Amino acid sequence: MELTPIRKRAALQPGKIRLNSPPSAAAEETPCTQKTIIGARDFTFYYGSKAGVENITMDIEVGSVTAIIGPSGCGKSTFLRSINRMNDLIPQTRTEGLLSVGGQDVYDKSTNLVNLRQQVGMVFQRPNPFAKSIYDNITYGPKLQGIRSKAKLNALVEKCLKDAALWDEVKDDLHKSALALSGGQQQRICIARTLATKPRVVLMDEPCSALDPLATARIEDLIEELKGTYTIVIVTHNMQQAARVSKRTAFFCLGKLIEYGQTDKLFTNPQEKSTEDYITGRFG
Amino acid sequence: MQTQLRQALNHLFTLSCGASVVLLVAALLLFLIPMLKKGAVAVLFRGTVEFRKMQAEQFDRGNEEALQKEIEQTAQSRQEIYAILDQFSRGIDTEKLTDEVKGLYRDYGDELRYKDTPKEQYTKLRSQAKIIRNHLLDAFESIDKTEINEYLDAVKVFEKGNSFSGTTVEKMFAVADGFQKTIQHVDLSRRGEYAEELSVVKEELYNLFGPRPEEKTPQLAMRRFGATRWDVAQKHLSFLLWQEKWVRSDDGQSMVSRKVRRDDPQYGSFSGTSLLPLFTLVEETLDISLKPRFTFYWQYFIDDSTPGHYFGGVGPEVLGTLMLTMLAMCFAVGPGVLSAAYLVEYAGDNLIVKIIRICINTLAGVPSIVYGLFGMAFFVTYVTRHPGILSAAMTLALLVLPVIIRASEEAIRAVPQTYREAAMGLGAGKFRSFITVTLPAAGPGILTGIILSLGRAAGETAPILFAGAAALAPIPDFGGKWWLQETRALSYGCYDITVGDKLAMMVPHKQFGMVMTLVMLVLCLNIVAIFVRSRMSKKLRGA
Repeated sequence: MELTPIRKRAALQPGKIRLNSPPSAAAEETPCTQKTIIGARDFTFYYGSKAGVENITMDIEVGSVTAIIGPSGCGKSTFLRSINRMNDLIPQTRTEGLLSVGGQDVYDKSTNLVNLRQQVGMVFQRPNPFAKSIYDNITYGPKLQGIRSKAKLNALVEKCLKDAALWDEVKDDLHKSALALSGGQQQRICIARTLATKPRVVLMDEPCSALDPLATARIEDLIEELKGTYTIVIVTHNMQQAARVSKRTAFFCLGKLIEYGQTDKLFTNPQEKSTEDYITGRFG
Repeated sequence: MQTQLRQALNHLFTLSCGASVVLLVAALLLFLIPMLKKGAVAVLFRGTVEFRKMQAEQFDRGNEEALQKEIEQTAQSRQEIYAILDQFSRGIDTEKLTDEVKGLYRDYGDELRYKDTPKEQYTKLRSQAKIIRNHLLDAFESIDKTEINEYLDAVKVFEKGNSFSGTTVEKMFAVADGFQKTIQHVDLSRRGEYAEELSVVKEELYNLFGPRPEEKTPQLAMRRFGATRWDVAQKHLSFLLWQEKWVRSDDGQSMVSRKVRRDDPQYGSFSGTSLLPLFTLVEETLDISLKPRFTFYWQYFIDDSTPGHYFGGVGPEVLGTLMLTMLAMCFAVGPGVLSAAYLVEYAGDNLIVKIIRICINTLAGVPSIVYGLFGMAFFVTYVTRHPGILSAAMTLALLVLPVIIRASEEAIRAVPQTYREAAMGLGAGKFRSFITVTLPAAGPGILTGIILSLGRAAGETAPILFAGAAALAPIPDFGGKWWLQETRALSYGCYDITVGDKLAMMVPHKQFGMVMTLVMLVLCLNIVAIFVRSRMSKKLRGA
């Protein structure tokens, strides 16, 4: 599996990312000949002296939806948060191995963190919109990128809210406080906010665990719409959700990557015993 | 059994929580209500015509015509009182009478010369007048009533002689007449005692009514008006009416000191004299003489006060306190919040940081007088070279800094990590995310620290004692270097007026008024700050 070198991109056209070659429709069967955007090679992450994840080696295709499942404490969130270096907020951590996004080693000293986080967005478990208006929430990222023009910002807000399937509900009053919305709406605000920086990858750390089934369904529809345009990596406790939304699934257990493959194959015919035990509910 | 015990404990806990809140509120009310009641006396009181006079003269307030009418109305009753007083004084104040008679004699001499009297008659008349004069002077000096009456009868012979009718000597006869009338009721052996008591009576009348209409206006503003407040007038009235005297005790064995009225028939100093009616007259006509009326003196909070806080209000003090507090906040909030931010976001857990924390917590407990001395030793000596508003404000800022740092630290620490993660996940750096996300979220907590410090800074006396507060400083001149000028302050004024001993006794309403103003000022500042904080909180919760 090769990692594609990153190409300097000019301003993105909305809804498109430039690739070296277009994704092929026959990707389903062939094992990872698609262009990968995230690659891990023997990646290990230490909390102090204890390893959160050990020797992870996997590649994530561009434009796909990848699910990471596993029991609690198995390192799913750790791995996810390493991708855009959110783990830097935790003191006394270190890494070994290689973790790269778009060909650039994430833990390299020369990596521009601001740029990385704008390219790899994150949606958290609990909706955490800022205590500002909806408009200010969504324009927070673009303003950091230096976009000042009112017209551009307005267009961006509209597009992101439409992409997040929220536009019709909030278009009447964009200056209402974001905290006045329901939980599901707040989570969609967070997604819209992440999309506003035009990332290539969207990481989702159990985005629906704090939401009711209706809101969950809407978020899953949203993921369905976003795939192809964005690469999505979703960590979830809910195996059915993983089966519904993702193309490939990775099973983590006790910090190690046990199995990684096509979703339907993993769920119907798992290779490893622990995978089968987990899926059938014998543990976890 | 276990459940019952637990239930009982639950109830007990709820009760004690409720009880402590009730106790706290009761204590607060117990403290506040008397203070406000007594302080309100400074603003709501029965003011007399003297008060209105003072307002008209010092502050140019009030209706001139109405005031003039009032003054005329009081004049009449006062005149009666003055008449009694004068008549008695003439009997006692023989020095004045002596001077008067001597002057009349000289005037008569001038009058004779003016009329061009022939020399023989001139000498004769003059020598007669001289005899009259000497008789009168002897009468004034003597303390034996019979002797005095002899002299006065001798003078009367001359009067009957009719050779002096229409001349100045008639005035001498009038003096003799008055004197005779007066001494009828005067115990001349007690002339010394009368003189002393009379001076007290005169002083108290002065305190009540101010200078007499024919007198020159005194220089000192304090002496220009009588009792401006009805309660002060009552106090002066009691000083007028009552005196302390040594009298024989009930069992007749020893002498005890007791309060007796000056016109008491047995023990009073003026018993049996012509001054007696004065006391009852003053007592009964006091409201006519002073015309007390309900006054709402809200300008108390704005007016300047004449030196010594005798009249006027606490305007400069209020201004001084506000300025010092605001300036102190400006100096303290910036460094305080930044220090707190450093301690939370950037500081590690090493020894230096631990020492810093210990220092901050210790500073919070340092006595305020130490801050005052430090302010004087450092800020005044090295920074501003002169005690003034700036050094006082800086000292106050130092005083409240630990509280602000502590409160801000708690508030910033309490901001959930998810806020920071969200901001950083969008690419904001540490500083950016702090300013745009963490600080607004910690706003209410920081404002709490500010509220606590506001009250402290406004009410502290010791820090500003040496660094910039003065009791009688003028309002700072904002055109010049106002930060180097000393200022008055409410807290310092409270202290100063209390140790002003005798004066403080005369203006207790001013003391209470100043305390009440300070409490109300702090209350208002707090209410404003709490309102701002609740608005902030509402916004953060999305209301």
